[in-house]
Amino acid sequence: MSNTTEIEIKMPKVDLNYSSFKKPVQVSADPAAKPNPKVTIDGKVYDFAPGDTIMQVAERYKIHEEIPRYCYHPGMPIAGSCRMCTVEVEKAPKLMTSCSTPAADGMVVHTRSEKVVKSRTGVMEFLLTNHPLDCPVCDKAGECELQDYNFEYGPMTSNFKEEKRVYEDSTTKKLSDKVTLNMNRCVHCERCVRFTDDVTKTSDLVMLNRGYKKELAAADEERGLFNDYQGCLTDFCPVGALTYNDFRFEKRVWFLEKKASICDRCSKGCNIEVHSEKDVVYRYMPIFNEQVNQHWMCDEGRSSYQSLSNPLRIISPLMKYQDALHSTSIETLLGSISKELQSASSVELVVGTDATCEEAAYLKEKMPEVIKNIRLSYYNGTNNVTTSKDDQKLDNLLRMKDKTANTKGVEETGLTALKNGEVSSEIAILFRSGRAGIPKMKADQKLILWGVWTQEEIKALPSKNILGVIAGLSTIEKIGSFKNTDGILQKFAPAIVHRGNGLSVKSVVSAWKSLK
Amino acid sequence: MSDLVITKHVNEKNCETIDFYIQKDHGYEALKKALTMTPAAVVDEVKKSNLRGRGGAGFPTGMKWSFMPPNPVDAKGNPKPKYLVCNADEGEPGTFKDRLIMTKTPHKMIEGMIIAGHAIGSNKGFIYIRGEFYQETRIVQKAIDEAYKKGFLGKNILGSNFTFDLVVYKGAGAYICGEETALLNSLEGKRGEPRLKPPFPAQVGAYGMPSCVNNVETFAAVPYIIHEGAEKFAKMGTERSGGTRLFCVSGHVNKPGVYELPMLLSMRELIEVAGGMKNGKKLKAVIPGGASAPMLTAEEIDVKMDFDSLAKAGTMAGSGGVIVMDESVCIVEAASVLLKFYEHESCGQCSQCREGSHWLARMFHRIENGKGVQSDLDYIAKICGNMAGQTICAFADAVTGPALSSVKKFRKEFEDHITQGCCPHKGPGHRHAHDHKESAHV
Repeated sequence: MSNTTEIEIKMPKVDLNYSSFKKPVQVSADPAAKPNPKVTIDGKVYDFAPGDTIMQVAERYKIHEEIPRYCYHPGMPIAGSCRMCTVEVEKAPKLMTSCSTPAADGMVVHTRSEKVVKSRTGVMEFLLTNHPLDCPVCDKAGECELQDYNFEYGPMTSNFKEEKRVYEDSTTKKLSDKVTLNMNRCVHCERCVRFTDDVTKTSDLVMLNRGYKKELAAADEERGLFNDYQGCLTDFCPVGALTYNDFRFEKRVWFLEKKASICDRCSKGCNIEVHSEKDVVYRYMPIFNEQVNQHWMCDEGRSSYQSLSNPLRIISPLMKYQDALHSTSIETLLGSISKELQSASSVELVVGTDATCEEAAYLKEKMPEVIKNIRLSYYNGTNNVTTSKDDQKLDNLLRMKDKTANTKGVEETGLTALKNGEVSSEIAILFRSGRAGIPKMKADQKLILWGVWTQEEIKALPSKNILGVIAGLSTIEKIGSFKNTDGILQKFAPAIVHRGNGLSVKSVVSAWKSLK
Repeated sequence: MSDLVITKHVNEKNCETIDFYIQKDHGYEALKKALTMTPAAVVDEVKKSNLRGRGGAGFPTGMKWSFMPPNPVDAKGNPKPKYLVCNADEGEPGTFKDRLIMTKTPHKMIEGMIIAGHAIGSNKGFIYIRGEFYQETRIVQKAIDEAYKKGFLGKNILGSNFTFDLVVYKGAGAYICGEETALLNSLEGKRGEPRLKPPFPAQVGAYGMPSCVNNVETFAAVPYIIHEGAEKFAKMGTERSGGTRLFCVSGHVNKPGVYELPMLLSMRELIEVAGGMKNGKKLKAVIPGGASAPMLTAEEIDVKMDFDSLAKAGTMAGSGGVIVMDESVCIVEAASVLLKFYEHESCGQCSQCREGSHWLARMFHRIENGKGVQSDLDYIAKICGNMAGQTICAFADAVTGPALSSVKKFRKEFEDHITQGCCPHKGPGHRHAHDHKESAHV
């Protein structure tokens, strides 16, 4: 592909609410060109593009983390209502909100003057008056913007002597199966409402009532939240008002180790941060990538981490012995199946399109050396997708029809699609990473399974004639690269260590070779 | 006494009908005259008249009209419509002048709107009436129908090539929708929350089009200016603000009501005009311009009632709602009632306003019931300081008006509440009637 862009997933200082696609303004080399407008922020002069707000200028030069915010999010329209991002602009009578005030040539901005800090302390004091301060039982604690900014600006004590506002029956209101709302913690930044209005365009969240009674609710109470990106609400909710049910009460966030990887749940290849402790994954969170997934990821991808820690996943080589599969060593298994393979009239290897580019290329190169006359092909098998041409968008945001991550990449190794989606050789080796579909087969088809499989999947196979299972690594456990639906090649490194006896493709093939 | 601009005939029978207006009040003659003038000449005339917006902020009307872009086009180069909006969402406590205009002389407002439409080049006007004004909505709608029948509204008005349509829109009864950008949001069917400015309505207003929003009384003054001339109107007022004003006097006076008076009289004279103090009691405090205006004490009432003098006295002319309170009033209770109103009416968008109005209301309520502590009084000023001037609209500033002024000017009374542990006016054991719901449950 000529338009291929290659991206290495960088281990970021990931912060969904700060990452922005704004880049520094190019200064023209031509001295005759009209100079860019300039703004002074905290004593330094910056060029900016006309139309930028003060916050956006700061984003261009990566100094925006100096400016606290609740309602502002670079991926959403500007609201200007939390009043936390106020800055002092010289010659302006009042403090200005940096998120909404357009920068002007010659403007002098102070982001931390005494007046500004006093105002922010004021906002913090107001927000905390009715906040329950239940951090010890709040899942957001540790990554909560209310905590962070209070540490920075907040008053250490409060003079609020009144009874705190309590929303009835709403400490644990289920907005859907995925998201729980605790309205008492809400700071009314309305990021969530704007997200459903302008990003997913589903408008399934609304604010009811007004003033201090203002309350977040699902637009349709019976239907609840129905957009496919509900997890994002919980990512950018600055407090613990919206929490993701899968993660609720599972882990304190400061124990989590964070590593970058790629979501393999569809052909979009959203950049994710894998949050794990002791190699047990607790959640995925999106990483900002302007070209791929911006700030978001879908719920299907987000909950796909569960399949890794599925207790029924096969994490050790299995060999058929007396009509049942038994755990064994890789050498024993390979030795046993090699005999079968040598005597077979025809053998084929079907590479799932969830394999990495490197795996597909390696299998294509090395497998004919291991097994003579082996036929190779690839198979997708999700949502009736055969080749990357069948792929299409499922909505206006990220979700794709192709539920495997690397159809484009596997195709480019030169493999051809499995004919009719059906295996026909005497022995078929099915290689997949847990996402690709299962090809059609005869009821007595001899099978060798390779890669990521679970007991349910094996039970559901049309054929019970399984010679062995070679346990492999799943996406976040291995190194490699995926080419996504837009032709962007993304490299990734292991985010966690595999917890069983699964082996990488290279190790298996070299073990196989050394057998001879 | 000078001529009356608006209320000359409001006490006569059938004054709201178009026939009465045409026969007795030079009805629609100003429109005829305006249609012979160029739009720019009309705007100039209004500028010369020194008419200032009567909604509360007192912005010069002619200037506002001249901000309207002459020939707005959209991104594709197609001409954009311009809209004229009448703010009839009169909700300021103590203000009831627009209501009088709409019930007694709606045609003045309608004529003023048509002239304004001609002046700014708009062919469509909206009258945004608050939801509680059911009767007024009907009267205005009837007046509009009459004007259509007589050819003052619709296509080619009075043979000119000017077309103007008027639509009545009923709000849902939120005080904040009196703020012009919240009004525009509400008009569009969105939540009534003030918009960020800039862009101002003159650039991006109703339905994203350039719009001009004026108060009912402002529009009602326009026919007089065109008919009688700007100089005559300007002369009736002060140097920087022309015409008369409608004062809504309520509270402990003998004759509460709407009075049209020149602005150069003092508060003391205004109370005399309204029949003096009821039952001969002593004056304690007066709110000069609707609930948001800081209070004046009995010693301060020699202040003149124009925009600038009141601003100099640390308060504001606002919407002209004068609330007179005699010595029997408990100021803590009065302030608490007002703050409860603001707590209820804050739109809840900005942090300071949403939480601050709630906090202040609860704090005043606590002090009123004798549960306050001395440090509360100093803290009120701190809360108000964190609210004023920090939000999208002026609502937070409005909240601090009664809160700050009552504590500052009647501190003794607050201290009495705190030291005696009850309201000194009512004695121990008394709880004020307008009680908050006891718990903070929403």
